[in-house]
Amino acid sequence: MKLLKTLALAAALSTAPLAALASPETSTMAEPAPGEILMAKVNGLVCDFCAQSIRKIVGKDEAVQKVYVDLSKGQVRVDLKPGKSLDDAALEKLIRKAGYSLVSVDRNVAK
Amino acid sequence: MPPRYLAAGLALAALAAPASARPVSYEGGWTLMQENNGMYSSVHAHYSPTATDSIGLYVEQNWDMDQTFTGLQYNRLVRRWNAPDSQGNLYFKLGAGAVDPFEDGETELGSFAGVAADWETRRVFVSYDVRASDFGADESLSHAARLGVAPYVAEFGELHTWAMVQVENHPEADKPVTVTPLLRFFKGPLLVEAGYTLEEEEFLLNWTWRF
Repeated sequence: MKLLKTLALAAALSTAPLAALASPETSTMAEPAPGEILMAKVNGLVCDFCAQSIRKIVGKDEAVQKVYVDLSKGQVRVDLKPGKSLDDAALEKLIRKAGYSLVSVDRNVAK
Repeated sequence: MPPRYLAAGLALAALAAPASARPVSYEGGWTLMQENNGMYSSVHAHYSPTATDSIGLYVEQNWDMDQTFTGLQYNRLVRRWNAPDSQGNLYFKLGAGAVDPFEDGETELGSFAGVAADWETRRVFVSYDVRASDFGADESLSHAARLGVAPYVAEFGELHTWAMVQVENHPEADKPVTVTPLLRFFKGPLLVEAGYTLEEEEFLLNWTWRF
């Protein structure tokens, strides 16, 4: 009986690394989920001062990790910190503080 | 000094901020602006507590007249039109301070009020400024208009280049209308302009730093 228990334990231990390799998502060291990405359409973006204003004001918000401005498309991409949120009204207020007009917001944009 | 040069100097001194850059920043933003055109130099350092107001120090030195104005300037963004591909602005400016007409230590109260409007896309820029000033012995009304074209469209952080023409009108001056072709270079927080005023045969060099 003792021999059977030993063999079973050995078999279990020998297959454990293979199981871990086969399903890495079960690892307890998984990275935290990335933050939400917002894509805002903003009117009035015509120059670098405009882009700088948006980056300074929106980037100061505690929920915001990074801000990208695309002058050609009139778009502002806002990467939020993991677990943080920024509703449309709050984003509109930030854009207005910078001197510009928020038109629309798309959420959960793929990177 | 011949009277015509005196008049020209006084009239140029009256023109404080000829349409070079927007005088109001974002909420909490600071801006340094300096303008030099051979006849005078000016510095305007201002802070914007809101996206529609700015206030700061304004100092202007007229080299020909040895005249200095030192005071506070308030700028109000009265209206901004944000469109998908353009932006228009209407500003009101007010300044008050001390004028030292001949740098002899005897100062007088000086003030000015102005209205400025601009409209731009990423390809075209137009602006107009009018300013009435009372610098002690000198009272004047001046106008400045600009037309600019960008030969290419640059993205944020790249070098933007504009070819512009500035036309100024100083009714009291010997040469009441002057034309200044200039180039504007714009990258991130820094804007630099270099030009040459044909009638006065003077170089223009302006810069604005926003932070």
